[in-house]
Amino acid sequence: MDAIQNLFMGFTVALTPQNLLFAFLGSVLGTLIGVLPGIGPVAGVAMLIPLTFQMTPTGAIIMLTALFYGTQYGGTITSVLLNVPGEAASAITCIEGYEMAKQGRGGAALAIAAIGSFIGGTIATIALVLAAGPLTRWALEFGPVEFFALIMLGLSLLMGLAGKSMIKALMMGILGMLLAMVGMDPVRGLPRFTFGRMELMDGIGFVPVIMGLFGLAEVLENAEKQFAQVFAAKMSSIIPSRKEIRDSVGPILRGTVIGTLLGLVPGMTGSASSFLSYIAERKVSKYPERFGTGVIEGVAGPETANNAHANGALIPLFTLGIPASPTVAVIMGAFMMHGLIPGPFLFKEHPDVAWGVIASFYVGNVILLILNLPLVGIWVKILKIPYGLLFGVILAFMVVGAYSVSNSAFDVLVMTLFGLIGYLLRKLDFPLAPIVLTLILGPMMERSLRQSLDMSQGSLGIFLQSPIALVLLALAALILIAPAFKLFRRGKGILN
Amino acid sequence: MQRIYQAAALGFIGLSAFVVWESWNLEYYTTLGPGPGFFPLWLGVAMGGLSLVWLVRISGRSGMPKDVALFPQRAGIVRILSILAALVVMAGLMNLLGFQLMMFLFLVFLLMGLGRQAFWVTLVVALLGSVGLFHLFGGYLDVPLPVATVKLLANLGL
Repeated sequence: MDAIQNLFMGFTVALTPQNLLFAFLGSVLGTLIGVLPGIGPVAGVAMLIPLTFQMTPTGAIIMLTALFYGTQYGGTITSVLLNVPGEAASAITCIEGYEMAKQGRGGAALAIAAIGSFIGGTIATIALVLAAGPLTRWALEFGPVEFFALIMLGLSLLMGLAGKSMIKALMMGILGMLLAMVGMDPVRGLPRFTFGRMELMDGIGFVPVIMGLFGLAEVLENAEKQFAQVFAAKMSSIIPSRKEIRDSVGPILRGTVIGTLLGLVPGMTGSASSFLSYIAERKVSKYPERFGTGVIEGVAGPETANNAHANGALIPLFTLGIPASPTVAVIMGAFMMHGLIPGPFLFKEHPDVAWGVIASFYVGNVILLILNLPLVGIWVKILKIPYGLLFGVILAFMVVGAYSVSNSAFDVLVMTLFGLIGYLLRKLDFPLAPIVLTLILGPMMERSLRQSLDMSQGSLGIFLQSPIALVLLALAALILIAPAFKLFRRGKGILN
Repeated sequence: MQRIYQAAALGFIGLSAFVVWESWNLEYYTTLGPGPGFFPLWLGVAMGGLSLVWLVRISGRSGMPKDVALFPQRAGIVRILSILAALVVMAGLMNLLGFQLMMFLFLVFLLMGLGRQAFWVTLVVALLGSVGLFHLFGGYLDVPLPVATVKLLANLGL
């Protein structure tokens, strides 16, 4: 009952003209980023953080979260009409969506994807509303010991899910933490790894690092080949047939459940949700042999799942203060830049912000449904902008974004350096997501570990005295050890 | 192919050694508990250990990745290096020559030189990207972008 009352209070915040405008702007920019190949949600959100500096914290977070789930909608358009995923979570949609487009049913595929995304996103938000109360009450009992254990569990899930390249995931996780070490020590306030440079005293900014690793590295990868113009399949009517609607009901419901649940798991990407949903649809289908020829279920399920995932991934951030994916980690960074700490205290100390942002998810999903159904033709026209022009504009925004975080040209250099590092790491097949998560969680993890050890006068036994911490750490250890056992039994290389 | 991976592993080992060395000079433990060197020291050790394991694995036959071309042809490398060089020049000179002039030149170079765009398209986009962004961020978003410190350019409003 409390949740409903709080949600109503949230709507009074989200429905103010100013916040409606921010939700609209975020939805438009998110769809645009999703549509444009060569810039994903992580770099997109990081790049646009400077736009929010003059906004109220609530307005800023409303815009950035709308931008995040807006990318999931936008990515579908390029997958269906171009056979090129605008962002990774929509990659699987290419299989059935592009086949449908070739048969002149691209409009129906986009309509079903938009409706599915709306339903998935909305139901995942309801899950957030219901989970908020119990989870935050539980999290309020956490001290530094439990918090450290929780972060360890989140990070080990991320590493454990890295699959065949666990050792590389661990290396990247540590690299992110090492980057977070640069600057003032969070407990004693002494400089570390600053080499006497004033620019490094405040640490390495996460915005330039993330823009470099995810945005610039992508541009550099695209620059390997001569920039080519993309050609979109012709758009058809966006009204799906009755049969297509009927066939989509089951996949939309299953996609919602898969996406919401996987969204809760740190390290699970939107791509994993959409891929699992596609597999599930093929398994339950009466005619699995038709998959690959333009089946609506193969669009409805995955597209619903990736949007439910995007909204579901915000549940651990809002309730526990733990980001479940790189983009959510960037949003967490934006929270902190606006002086807010996501997690249980956000509901206690800034309920207007917490519930206002949650209510805005409903508003944003409605806006996105409107933007993606009747206005799909406009997005298709944007695809006609040649990449040879687009990459220059993207780089210009990256320069402005990196510079304006702390009005420093040094940050543009940092972005450039990490662009090169990101490009090389991609070439060597290193996962980049762990760097983002540990870069943002690293200082919190160090602070809670050191506070815990301060409390116990250096004894690690303190982690065994708290039952919650003990369970969380045992789970974390299990997740990390399990692949090693698998390796031992199979005797072949998952540790490459 | 294998050498590139081995070089990368050695690079990571070098980084770990540097981190351990730097952490060694920081206070490891204080009377109040772990010091500023505690966390980075163990991270450096862990990174070194993992890099070593990776080096051993990729040096063995079973750990070898498939033989595919890692890096692009010469033209691709030139394009990549051009973008990086343009960004470094942009960062190095934007405080001296001002955002507007540098961004204009940056966009002209990228769009005409690498993107092969028509002159008029380049001109319009470069003007919007330089003068337009400067006024959008400075005037409406209250995020000031740098003006030239060279007096002549500053007098021209750049």
